[in-house]
Amino acid sequence: MEPLYIEPSEFTPRIFFDPASSVFEISGFSRPENVVGFYKPLIKWLEDFEDQVLSKNTEFTKSNLVVNLKLTYFNSASSKFLLDILMIFMKFHSKGNNVEINWFYDEDDDEIFESGEEISEMISFPFNFIPITPGN
Amino acid sequence: MLISHYGPLSYEEIGFLLNKMTAMLERLGYSITTKKKVYAAMVESLENVYKHQDTIEENTNYLPKFTLTLEDNFIHLSASNSVLINKIAQLQDRLDKVNALDKQGLKDFYRDIILSGNVSQKGGAGLGIVNIAKVTENKLDYTFEKINDKYSYFSLHVKVAVNPQ
Repeated sequence: MEPLYIEPSEFTPRIFFDPASSVFEISGFSRPENVVGFYKPLIKWLEDFEDQVLSKNTEFTKSNLVVNLKLTYFNSASSKFLLDILMIFMKFHSKGNNVEINWFYDEDDDEIFESGEEISEMISFPFNFIPITPGN
Repeated sequence: MLISHYGPLSYEEIGFLLNKMTAMLERLGYSITTKKKVYAAMVESLENVYKHQDTIEENTNYLPKFTLTLEDNFIHLSASNSVLINKIAQLQDRLDKVNALDKQGLKDFYRDIILSGNVSQKGGAGLGIVNIAKVTENKLDYTFEKINDKYSYFSLHVKVAVNPQ
């Protein structure tokens, strides 16, 4: 399966979902004018990933899926879709795959840190909180 | 007055106003948290105006309006747009409900909407107003001014306490 790569724009985040390394990354800024049009294809891609990759894994060792969220800002409409995406990973987790969710945040940015805590609470799954020092 | 806008609002214009605000608060030396709070409140209120600017023909007195002012250690945001009178009840219900909730109540309400709500065709999830209350940690003040039998002019006023860096 081909990776999904979407270049960031002024209003939308960078997306890199890589089935080869099982790393799924959303980074940057999210305030799409057409939030449904931006996020629906990501959800469709993850559903295809389940059908084409995860369901075909017959080995004893299940996949180790790493989700990296490096958001600087997202509006409320985006938060709904971020949650939908994470719920898909929760489904993968319930089917026996390992899931690790890393929430990166600027260490001075309480808002984005708290947003991460809230989303983690909403899906009842612990995140790894990783501070980024500004300028690095 | 830090920022003022009057007239139809495009998506690009919202970006322009946000950049202007960020540069101003940067210059004034406010903390990243203050900037993020104002940013979030401004995005949600401007996007609400953008999505719900109901058109009134031949009347230029009630176009979308936005102002950002600094007064008494608060940044005040005010956003106005015309709305169909038949939408007022639902909007007022949401505003009153949000104003009655404390911090934890707002978090729970936000979670309930996000876990159950569908996103509308316009991309709204009904979350904007809850989010404004959540980030500003202040009550939302609002007015409806009757324009004619069909439309009212809705104004939302919110404030964010500012903390110097």
